[in-house]
Amino acid sequence: MKSTWNRCRSVLATAAVAAAVALPGAAGAAKSDDTLVVALQRGITSVDYLYTTKREYIILSELTDDGLFDVDPETLRIRGLAAKSWHQVDDTTIDVQVRDGIKFHDGSPLTADDVVYTYNWVLDPKSNANRSRQFAEWLASVTKTGPMSVRFKMKYPYPLALRAMGASMPLRKKSTYDGAAASGSKPLGQTLNGIGPYKVVSVEPGRKTVIERFDGYYRDSPKGRPAIRRMVFREIPDWGTQEAELMSGGVQWMYDVPYDIASTLGSSPVASALNGPSLRVGFIVLDAAGLSGKDNPLTKLAVRRAIIHAINREAIVKSIVKGDAQVIDSACHPAQFGCTQDVMKYPYDPAKARELLKSAGYPKGFTFDLWAYREKDSAEAIAADLAKVGITARLRFVQLATLDQARKKHEIQSYFGSWGSGSVADTAAIADVHWSATTDRNMSGDKQVTEYMIGAQKTVDPAKRAELYAKGLRLIAEKAYWVPLYTFSLNYLVSKELDFTPPKDGMPRLYLAKWK
Amino acid sequence: MLKYALRRGVLALLVAFTVSVATFFLLNFATDPAQALAGEDAPPEVVEQIRAQFGLDRPLVVQYASWIGALAHGDLGQSYHWRSPVGALIASHAPVTIRLALLAMAVTIGVAIPLGAIAALRPNSIVDRLALSVAVGAQAIPNFWLGLMLIILLAVKFPIFPVSGDTTWMHFVLPALVLGASSVPAVMRLTRTGLLDVLASDYIRTARSKGFRGLRLLTRHAMRNAMLPVVSVLAVQLGAKLGGSVIVESVFALNGLGRLALQSILGGDIPTVQILVFVFALTFVILTFLADLLNAWIDPRIRLG
Repeated sequence: MKSTWNRCRSVLATAAVAAAVALPGAAGAAKSDDTLVVALQRGITSVDYLYTTKREYIILSELTDDGLFDVDPETLRIRGLAAKSWHQVDDTTIDVQVRDGIKFHDGSPLTADDVVYTYNWVLDPKSNANRSRQFAEWLASVTKTGPMSVRFKMKYPYPLALRAMGASMPLRKKSTYDGAAASGSKPLGQTLNGIGPYKVVSVEPGRKTVIERFDGYYRDSPKGRPAIRRMVFREIPDWGTQEAELMSGGVQWMYDVPYDIASTLGSSPVASALNGPSLRVGFIVLDAAGLSGKDNPLTKLAVRRAIIHAINREAIVKSIVKGDAQVIDSACHPAQFGCTQDVMKYPYDPAKARELLKSAGYPKGFTFDLWAYREKDSAEAIAADLAKVGITARLRFVQLATLDQARKKHEIQSYFGSWGSGSVADTAAIADVHWSATTDRNMSGDKQVTEYMIGAQKTVDPAKRAELYAKGLRLIAEKAYWVPLYTFSLNYLVSKELDFTPPKDGMPRLYLAKWK
Repeated sequence: MLKYALRRGVLALLVAFTVSVATFFLLNFATDPAQALAGEDAPPEVVEQIRAQFGLDRPLVVQYASWIGALAHGDLGQSYHWRSPVGALIASHAPVTIRLALLAMAVTIGVAIPLGAIAALRPNSIVDRLALSVAVGAQAIPNFWLGLMLIILLAVKFPIFPVSGDTTWMHFVLPALVLGASSVPAVMRLTRTGLLDVLASDYIRTARSKGFRGLRLLTRHAMRNAMLPVVSVLAVQLGAKLGGSVIVESVFALNGLGRLALQSILGGDIPTVQILVFVFALTFVILTFLADLLNAWIDPRIRLG
C-alpha cells in the first residue's frame, strides 16, 4: 500500500538519489571479498523455512535448504533434487529414491530416516510448523521402504504433490526438533542444519544473516556448485538507504524495487536495473452471485462485461504498472500450467460498454463500491475509466484485514485483488484459493466453475487437468466473473560487478549468481 | 516529595494502561495479526493455523485479559514475530536507541543553547536572524530527507561515515546529527525567549550595575532562570527520542526500539507493540517527573507536593 506520504517520500528519495547519481560513487570491494551483500526491506528473524512463509525466507531457503524436488529455473518443470528418482505407483502413491552422498551441514549423511522424520514432524499438529495443515490436507503417510527409499501415500490424487515436496518441505536431520517437541514451543530458527548449497554462519535478527558456501554440497546436485563464496542478507528498510549502499558498494543486490527508483539508479554507472516477470496477477472480483445484495447491478452479465470493456488495461500497464507487466485475459498467470489464453476477450471499447449498460437497463450508469488494499494508483485509474461510461466506482481503500473481514460478511460488491501464487507455475496455485466452494473469494456462485477448477486439482493426468482448467477459465471469462487486469513485474537493482539473471517465475535463485 | 513521586507513578501506570488498551484494540481492528505474520499471499489454511497457534482465534477481551494477567505476574510475553521473550527483545534493542538519543541530545544542546543565547544577546541583529533562519530551516526539513542528503554527501560522495548499520560509534554520527537537528528549533527559540525575558528583569540590571557583563552575566545569573522551560522541553525531547525515532532508525538501518516498534506493528506482533507502548509511556512520564525535580533544584522557589 502506498500512502500519499510514502509517495512523497519516494519522490523525494528518488530525487535525492538522482542528484547523487550525477556524482561518481565509490566502488565496492564485494568481488575481491567474494561476498554478495543482499538488501532486504524486511529482515530475517528465523532461518528455518518450516516455520516461516514470507518471500525473503524462501529466497534464503533456496540457498540453505534442499527438498526432495525443486523447480527447474529454465523450464519451470519439477526436477529431482534430493530425490534421485521417483515412481508414481498409482494415483495416490509415489515412491522416491533418495540420492546417495548428500550431507547435512554438520557432515552427517542424509538417509530415508531423515526424510520420513521431516515429513512426519510437519504432519504432526504438535510441530506447529507453518504448513502442517496444508500437507495434512492431502498427504496421508510417509514410510521408509529401504535405507534410501521412501513411500508417500496421498489421501486423494494430488497433481501438485511433487511441487509441494520441493521448496515448501526442506529436509531436516532426524531428531532436529526433539527440543521443541519436549517444550511444546516453536523452534527459534537461529541455527540450521540443512543440506543446501550454503550453510548458515550467523543470524542477527533485524540486522543481518550470514551464509557461506557449503563445501560438502553434493556434486551431482541440479543446482550446481555456487560461484559466490559468501552472502550477507542485510535488513535495510529504507529504499533510499539501500540505493546509497548500492552506490557506495555496501550492497550488490536489491529486490522488488519500485519502478521509479530502479529506472533512476539503473541509469548510473554503478548499478544495473533488471526487470523480470513475477507470477503475480492483478484482477477485480465482481459479486456476480449477489452475495452483497440481490439488487446488485453486478449480478447482470451485461454490466460485468461492460465494466471490462470500459477499463483501458493497456494504458494502465503502460503508464502505471510499467516494466515487464502484461495485460491478461484469463484468471491466472499465462506462465502457469493450464492457464489458457484462448478465452473470450474484452478489448477496451467504451462505446460497447455504454451499449451493454443500456441493454442491462443502466443507460445512465450506476454506482458501486470497489474495494482495494494495494495498487491505489491503478484502482484510481480504473475508477476514472469507469466514470467515462457513466459508472461511478466508489473507491474503498482499506487495510487487507478490513477487506478480508468485509468479504467474509459478504459486504463487498467488488474488490481489486492480486495473487502471487507463491511463484508456483501452475493454475492450481491461484484456483484453489479463489474458486473452491467454501472460499469467500469465490463470488461467482457458479458451481460449474468450482467443479472445473477444483476438479483439475484432483486430477493427475496433465492433459485432463489442462482441459478442465481450459473449461473453467473459459467459463469465468465468458460470464465475466473477474476482470483480469495484468501481470506484475519485478525490478532488481544489481551491482555492475554481479552477473544475475531475473528468474522466469519471480523466484530469485541467488546460487546461480556470479561475479563478472 | 514521596507523595508527589507516588502520585506521578500511579499516573504513569494509568497513562501506560490506557495507551496499551487503545493500542491493543486499534491494532486488532486495523490489522489481522495472523495474516500479517503469515504474509499477504499465505493460503488460508496457513493463516488459520497461525491464528490457532498463537491463540488469536480467542475473543479480543479474553486475549487482552490473558496478556494483562501474565504481565501482572511479571511475564512480558513472547514475541510472535521474533519468537523470543519480549523483555529480552527490548533489552537487546534499547542500547542502540539510548546511545542514539543521548548523542542526539548532545547535538541539540550543543547547537541550540549557544545559538539561542547568541540570538538573545543580540536581538533583531543579523546574528539573531541567522539563528532563526537555521531554526526554521531545521524544522522545515524532513528527517528522512536530511538523512539521505547527509548519507549521499558524507557516506557516498565523500565516504567519511558508513551509510547504515549500528556496529560502531561512527555509525551513530549521521543519525545523531539528523535526530538532534530536529529538536534544535524548539530548544533554540525557547532559550532565546527565556533569556530575553530574564535579561530584561530587575536582578539582571542590578547584576549589570555591579559590573557583570557578557558570558559571565549569562552563565552565572541569566541562564539559570532562563533554563527552566528549556529543561522541561529537553525532557520531552529526550522522551521522544528514547521512545523510538522510527524514521531515523529506519533510514540509517539502526536496530533500535523505533525500528522494533515499526517491525512489530507491520508484523502484527501485538505482544511486542504492547510492551513497547508501555515502555514509551513510562519513559515520558518518568522524564517529565525528573524534569520537575531538576527544575525544583535549579529554582528553589518551586516546591513540589
